[in-house]
Amino acid sequence: MISSIEILTPKNLNEVLGILSSNGGDLRIIAGGTDIVTGLKQESNRFIKTEVLIDINRVAEVKGIGQANGRISIGAASTFTEIYKNQIVSKELPILKKAVATIGSLQIRNRATIAGNFVNNAPCADTVPALLVYNATIEIESINSKREISLQEFLQGPYITQLKKDEIVTRINIPVPPENFIGDFYKLGRRQAVAISRITFAVLMELEKNKINEIRIASGAVTPIGTRFSELEKFAKGKEVNNNFLKTLACKMGDEIIKLTGLRWSSEYKLPVVQQMFYQILRSATKKNL
Amino acid sequence: MIKLKFILNGKEVIVETEPSIRLLDLLRDRFSLTGTKEGCGVGECGACTVLMNGKAVNSCLIFAAQVEGNEIVTIEGIANGNELHPIQKNFLKYGAVQCGFCSPAMVLSAFALLEENPNPTEEEIKDAIAGNLCRCTGYKQIIEAIAESAKEVTSH
Amino acid sequence: MKKEFSVVGKPIIREDGFDKITGRAKFADDYKFDGMLHAVMLRISETHAKINSINYSEVENDQAVNSIITSADIPGAKKVGMIKNDQPIFCDEVVVTPGDVLAMLVGEDTTRLRSALSKIKIDYTPLPTLTDPQKSLDPKSPLIHPELGSNLIIHHPLRKGNIEKGFTESDHILEQTYTTQLIEHAYIEPEAVIAIPLGQNGIKIIGSIQNPFSARKIIAAVVNLPLDKVQVIQAQLGGSFGGKDDTMCILSARAAVAAIKVNRPVKIRYTREESILESYKRHPYILNYKVGFKSSGKIKAMQIDILADGGAYCSMSPFVTWRSVVQATGPYEIENVHTDVRAVYTNNPYTGAMRGFGSPQPVFANESLMDEIALQLGMNPVEVRKINGLKAGSITATGQKLQNHDVNLLTVLDTATKETDFQNKWKKYKKDKSIIQKYDFNKPVFNNSQFIEPDQLIKKGIGLAVSYRGCSLGAEGIDAAACYLSIQNDGTIYLLSGLAENGQGLRTTFSIIVAEELGITTDNIFYLETDTSRVPDSGPTVASRATLMGGGAVKNAAEILRTRLEELIRAEWKLKAAEKIIFKNNLALITNHKSPITFQDLCKLAANRGVNLATIGWYKSPNVDWNEQTGQGDAYFTYVYGCQVAEVSVNQGTGEVYLDKITAVHDPGTVINKLGAEGQIYGGVTQGAGYGTLEEVTTENGLIRELNFDQYLILTAKDIGEIKPIIVEGKEIYGPWGAKSLGEPTLELTAAAISNAVCNALGKRFFNLPLNLEEILLGKKLRPVEVKRGSLL
Repeated sequence: MISSIEILTPKNLNEVLGILSSNGGDLRIIAGGTDIVTGLKQESNRFIKTEVLIDINRVAEVKGIGQANGRISIGAASTFTEIYKNQIVSKELPILKKAVATIGSLQIRNRATIAGNFVNNAPCADTVPALLVYNATIEIESINSKREISLQEFLQGPYITQLKKDEIVTRINIPVPPENFIGDFYKLGRRQAVAISRITFAVLMELEKNKINEIRIASGAVTPIGTRFSELEKFAKGKEVNNNFLKTLACKMGDEIIKLTGLRWSSEYKLPVVQQMFYQILRSATKKNL
Repeated sequence: MIKLKFILNGKEVIVETEPSIRLLDLLRDRFSLTGTKEGCGVGECGACTVLMNGKAVNSCLIFAAQVEGNEIVTIEGIANGNELHPIQKNFLKYGAVQCGFCSPAMVLSAFALLEENPNPTEEEIKDAIAGNLCRCTGYKQIIEAIAESAKEVTSH
Repeated sequence: MKKEFSVVGKPIIREDGFDKITGRAKFADDYKFDGMLHAVMLRISETHAKINSINYSEVENDQAVNSIITSADIPGAKKVGMIKNDQPIFCDEVVVTPGDVLAMLVGEDTTRLRSALSKIKIDYTPLPTLTDPQKSLDPKSPLIHPELGSNLIIHHPLRKGNIEKGFTESDHILEQTYTTQLIEHAYIEPEAVIAIPLGQNGIKIIGSIQNPFSARKIIAAVVNLPLDKVQVIQAQLGGSFGGKDDTMCILSARAAVAAIKVNRPVKIRYTREESILESYKRHPYILNYKVGFKSSGKIKAMQIDILADGGAYCSMSPFVTWRSVVQATGPYEIENVHTDVRAVYTNNPYTGAMRGFGSPQPVFANESLMDEIALQLGMNPVEVRKINGLKAGSITATGQKLQNHDVNLLTVLDTATKETDFQNKWKKYKKDKSIIQKYDFNKPVFNNSQFIEPDQLIKKGIGLAVSYRGCSLGAEGIDAAACYLSIQNDGTIYLLSGLAENGQGLRTTFSIIVAEELGITTDNIFYLETDTSRVPDSGPTVASRATLMGGGAVKNAAEILRTRLEELIRAEWKLKAAEKIIFKNNLALITNHKSPITFQDLCKLAANRGVNLATIGWYKSPNVDWNEQTGQGDAYFTYVYGCQVAEVSVNQGTGEVYLDKITAVHDPGTVINKLGAEGQIYGGVTQGAGYGTLEEVTTENGLIRELNFDQYLILTAKDIGEIKPIIVEGKEIYGPWGAKSLGEPTLELTAAAISNAVCNALGKRFFNLPLNLEEILLGKKLRPVEVKRGSLL
């Protein structure tokens, strides 16, 4: 069906980097393939020129989840199932775990990988809001360079990222959040399972008594790309948490989304729901403190 | 063309193939394992589910070249000759099969679940088969059959 | 008098279960033949266009293309149809809907064939399109089939009593408009068929075909062969729900034309996208109801005007809408009824048979209406239905007196409401006023008063719907079925019905009937492959008629053979007339006779005595009658009754409807196949729930947006809560031991019950299916301007 494509199966990262630097034809990295194979079948413009696929499932450097020096490091080719079952993620990154659980079907989660989720920068990538509130950074390598940037910087525009042709995302690093952080991930789809996100957002905060010491808010499928709401975060910092304030914050989120997204065919539905559900999530997340 | 070596239903196989044909086509066309079905080709219906290293995956989303060295189990590898696996027996006993097009894949999803979690809750069963669409049964008898199979597995 | 059964009504493992659960069952795409070629379809992405010319010169010498198949290759009929011959096998003159196929390429490799398709140059002129059925009959609108002179497919009038008088005598009058959506059958197996040329013996077809005899008729007409030269074999069918009929007839005919031309087997296998693009769907309806009723709740008059979008081809529209005209009032006795149902042509995807067949749409409307009457009068939904519901001896809207069976409408209603504590819950959850906010899109940012307190977010509701449903074809046409039954010398049995196994469990049901009648177990019965050359035409496997009609024929065949065995025993043992013979537990037991004879020994004896143990059983329905001008007559020879109660939780912040529990009470007459019957309820309810809350095929100028399961969503295992099936077995004089219908009644009620439950939860009525997120929250549907797969906006 897709018979003109060559598939390479390098055994380590150096081989991958070598292939990427060789500059032969339209190269593309494949791990789970859940995005690429459907894209190829549907003759999506994003994939149509692909000539060579580099399968990284055998590359140890992009697998595995570990914790060191106050950071959790997730291999780019970790599947959602691996992330979901990982003890470190369960303990330290519950919002990411919740986001991962909502993705696709088990068959998809058994194949699809975390970097695959955001490396194309599709707005409905469910891990993005969770990774953004965790201040995730990503390691990018090419044969000549190695850099680490924040996910926020990496995601430039719809289907556009900072990734260069000869580069690969190797790991996602997340500073271990302080123990008293509270938060949640929200996803709305048209079904209870295997649904493309209509709305996603995540919130993470630290309260001192009733005061917001720190808050991080990120959206997924309600803005053109996943993004942090820094204006909103600045506004909320230091404020007392009460129902009225949470309502004000939710209204401000509506305002921010209009600024970022403008009004679209779906806004008539999404705007009221985002504000309403953001308020609901804030209420349930802060419940213990009120 | 590449020479591909992997374990298929417990036996090592070697096959010459185009690297970018789908595992689904490899199984159906080269090995005549037609119990693996194509319903959508985009990983949404789950009818092409097989086990790869024990995990349920959509064989329509995997290229042949990605199978090298891995272990694949299809529905044809579940029963022991004419002796059905307990999951298969319970699917029949509970009326979980109607048209049967989704059934092989549904059995494989159930098999993978019970291998990993012999004592699943109803929610966990639903999670495990949410990626297997069925238009005939409303899933109820399928869920019952899997729950009953779990009881049998754990009591042994 | 309730018969004690040995096999009937017991849980019996499906006849085809072993093959299906081990992956051995062969579906159409699983067949391969030596030298087999594949065919791919040539289409254009146009809704309505005149084809000026097609230039194949670029592919004529293409190595991948073995043959180009066009309408010039058709030896016989170039246009076909189930009722009207309005659908071309190849649309090389005009395209009237985007699924239309202009020609085919045949070759060995479908990938290469598909790339060859893009080299064919098609010169065409777009024509004005008609996609709004409400404009179909406007003289200014384009005609879809100009030779027919009108876009009207059919008009069914029904006149009973005096409608004006009825409204005059009413204390209240209520008028409402309801709409229902276009939906897809969504069988998980896409269409596939193989045609195998047999030289002067004609052609053999193996395919995913719901109705092999319909297919045979159409293939024979297209390839211009007599019926006996067209052998149609049904492969295992991966779901149909009414959907693998017209489409499969046409695909089979295309494959046959190609196979005869290239003299090699030719397979057509659709992708999901092609399947959704070309196959017919369920009719969207616009339903206008005007009802007059007394303050007591008694309905005096009902005026109904229904418009069905038939899309580009007639298909089964006349019959689908005929069922609607019979059942449009719902199961209520109303003196004065005035109904008009019309189906019209548009350039939209065409619509035809789908499980429910013209009933889910009016059931949604009339059951919503009944709740509105109740609410207006301060009654509860049960009371108003009891006042008006059909009882034994009632006269239906078509003037038919209900008799000769238990008219169990109120029984199923009572059973369902008691089981669910309906009236208490309904009262408790009832909202008098809508609690769903009206959002002002000009003020998209909330004010603080618009937030819902967390404990108020989820609202519970309960709702019900009832229906009656005519069994089998009714006045649609000749209604008879056949069965071939042959007992072997060792007591094993070949069984074959002229009706088809579509996954519903027909083979098992028929095996149970034979086993019961002959006192044996089902494992000695071998069900033969469904093949038009082996058994008489039994009409289509539709209209929930298989158990009733096909089962009747099977029972008839088994009775014939049992009688022959009885006669043999009487002759052999010289029994007196008073001595009775009972077939049970694999034995023939003779009263006052000490040693019974085993069924196997009896069959051996019959062989030695030259007794014929093969026969054709037959069952013909009693007569029905219908007046096309007045819509009066005995539309169906019997009816079934059902009541479903939906319990839902609604998230008033998002518009999500969670289906907590559906209680489904049905009277299908006697249940033959217990597991199968329960499976029909679970499956039907789930399909009905999808229809109510989620499923919709939307189009933009006739072009379908949802072409695969990533966008056309059906319910997953996580989307449906508890389903409780309850079966009430009413008495019935027809069918095997009084068994009637179940497949479709299970589906027609669910959407209506859910809508009534959502109204109970929110205090707001919904008039337009499906009740998806936007419908609940905004009271309307939102459509993307342009759809990109997997993209957000």
